[in-house]
Amino acid sequence: AAPPPEKKRWLRAYLELQRLQAPPQRRSEKPNWDYHAEIQAFSHRLQENFALDLLKTAFVNPCYIDSEEARRRELGLDKDAVALHLQDNAKLAEQGLRFARAYLTQSFEGAYPDLPAKGIEALVHFLTSEELVSYVAQNLSIQDLALCRDFPAPPDVLQRTFLAVVGALLESSGPERTGIFVRDFFIPQLIGKDLFEIWEVVNPMGLLLEELTKRNISAPEPRITRQLGVSTVLPLYFVGLYCDKKILAEGPGETLLAAEEEAARVALRKLYGYTENRRPWDYSKPKQGLAAEKAISSN
Amino acid sequence: RYVRQLQRLQLLFSPTAADARGARQFVEEAAQDFARQHPDVVLYVSPHSGPGPAPVLRAEYLNGTVREELIASKTSEEIVQLATKLANQSGLDIIRIRKPFHTDNPSIQGQWHPLTNKPSILTVQGPRMQPQ
Repeated sequence: AAPPPEKKRWLRAYLELQRLQAPPQRRSEKPNWDYHAEIQAFSHRLQENFALDLLKTAFVNPCYIDSEEARRRELGLDKDAVALHLQDNAKLAEQGLRFARAYLTQSFEGAYPDLPAKGIEALVHFLTSEELVSYVAQNLSIQDLALCRDFPAPPDVLQRTFLAVVGALLESSGPERTGIFVRDFFIPQLIGKDLFEIWEVVNPMGLLLEELTKRNISAPEPRITRQLGVSTVLPLYFVGLYCDKKILAEGPGETLLAAEEEAARVALRKLYGYTENRRPWDYSKPKQGLAAEKAISSN
Repeated sequence: RYVRQLQRLQLLFSPTAADARGARQFVEEAAQDFARQHPDVVLYVSPHSGPGPAPVLRAEYLNGTVREELIASKTSEEIVQLATKLANQSGLDIIRIRKPFHTDNPSIQGQWHPLTNKPSILTVQGPRMQPQ
């Protein structure tokens, strides 16, 4: 970055220090910014056809409208000029959130039919949580386009803006394309994550007993399969769970209780079909399921 | 889906300097075609009048990295090639790659630990024990 050539050479160090200590500014306040062009490029980047006015509404946050009106009132404009004729994105955000949740719940119910409702709810809640959605939004440059009061935009504002973008897509292109969009941007965030990192289960053994009674299998019998370093500071126990003398799962742990709990978790992962070596998610183009999409849109 | 990581390209050049001739030719001839072929990149053309810094092509990526390439004394075709190269890059830092291979599944049958292939306690035969 070449700073503008100043008149005195001995000022260079001072000006460099000023440049480094300047507070961070929004991209929209730096030179070379065309909002309309950026929004068009945004829709092309996501390979989606947006209705541009819906998209522009999706980026307007309520805090921006309040701050702008306050600023205009302070500058002393009269009532007509103060009122901004801008709709904010609360309605679109709510629509987007509802659609994303419904679509994700439906896809998980189809992909993991054995997973109970609480597990699916935990997965969907994790995928629509503030942290994850704001991370995805940051990497799609939504923080440059979103209009909000503070800079840098806080994560809940980014989450609301991204869900409003989803809502705008729902209004412009319909539920099918929005479903594909949600699948392409939310579900890869589950790669590499373990089920029980996302879903907090306090008593895995009790949950396992419930699952086994539902399938009419007898209660598991825990046995030590392997042990190592019992009398040392760091023992290792492998506890196996046997149902009717047949192995169900085996899990390691530092103490016998920890190993039993871990074995119960491994057994639950196997039963729900969420192991590490399960088939990866199917991202091919969906050909059928029109009735299903209509069911979502009627939500 | 594929999301192009290049957000915007800013072409900063001077309308009179001699080394910005390639940049001026690029703007006259090839810039529109480039912008049409890459609709997801915003191309800003900003000539600054008078003698100024060298002509530069600044690329901003989605993860925030800003990369500047000098285009002084480059022809229009070279600038087009440079721009397409920047458009196909991601914004990750250009550092030495430690290893030319990577796998998401480092182990197919399970990683070895000292207890694989050892018999379990339940089948160990002690001097007087029967296998259970």
